[in-house]
Amino acid sequence: MSTQDFPRIQSAPLSLDALLTGSERDDCGALAIFAGTVRDHHEGRAVRALTYSSYARVAEKLIREIETEIAARFNVPLCLAVHRVGALAIGETAILAIARGHHRAETFAAMQALVEAVKHRVPIWKEEFYTDGSSAFVNGCTLVAAEDLPPAESRLHCTPTQSIEA
Amino acid sequence: MQVTVECCGSTARVAGSLSLRVSLAEGASVRDLFVQLSAQSTEFAEVLAGCACARGDAIVPRGTVLTDGDELALLPPVAGG
Repeated sequence: MSTQDFPRIQSAPLSLDALLTGSERDDCGALAIFAGTVRDHHEGRAVRALTYSSYARVAEKLIREIETEIAARFNVPLCLAVHRVGALAIGETAILAIARGHHRAETFAAMQALVEAVKHRVPIWKEEFYTDGSSAFVNGCTLVAAEDLPPAESRLHCTPTQSIEA
Repeated sequence: MQVTVECCGSTARVAGSLSLRVSLAEGASVRDLFVQLSAQSTEFAEVLAGCACARGDAIVPRGTVLTDGDELALLPPVAGG
């Protein structure tokens, strides 16, 4: 399977091996790998699990666009990212990303930009389930078109909203 | 005309459903849809203020004119990773 074919939004556990397979390049001397895992706390609250959901029709397209954009901006030949959806336990991998570059400096920079862009620009939502029985969606960055935003508004994040008390 | 609206993330909770079938006047825009949905509850209106709208695989501005049978999605602020 080519790197462009596999789904960027996946419900099965993410595989680093699958992401790396076929990504090798003789002209690259650097490989950066990032894995984001489910943490057991958020803003002082004990978290027992997360559920990620996505609007895949847009998310699949946007992640591919972000990969291409970041690769061009940092002059690295390869950027790839996959994100998990569904119920995840503490410690499970929510996002995996790789970048291959000629040298380490631009590869590190590309990796950071890639992960930030996926977190802030792709329609993926995170609902946290706390040990006290309550839950909340994490309120992140708005995708509202710039022309529809009030002048002073920016892409703010992140405070929990839509809380459900136990 | 009628459009289908998928309620993503926290919007499903305030809408009370994962999917809505909404009747709109011919020539209605995304903004008109939001106004109509906002009338359902104050909570829904507050959530919609921060929502983007997708049609198919593209995020569209609120001035976009809708057509019968459009498949839309409400996209609240995102928080991946």
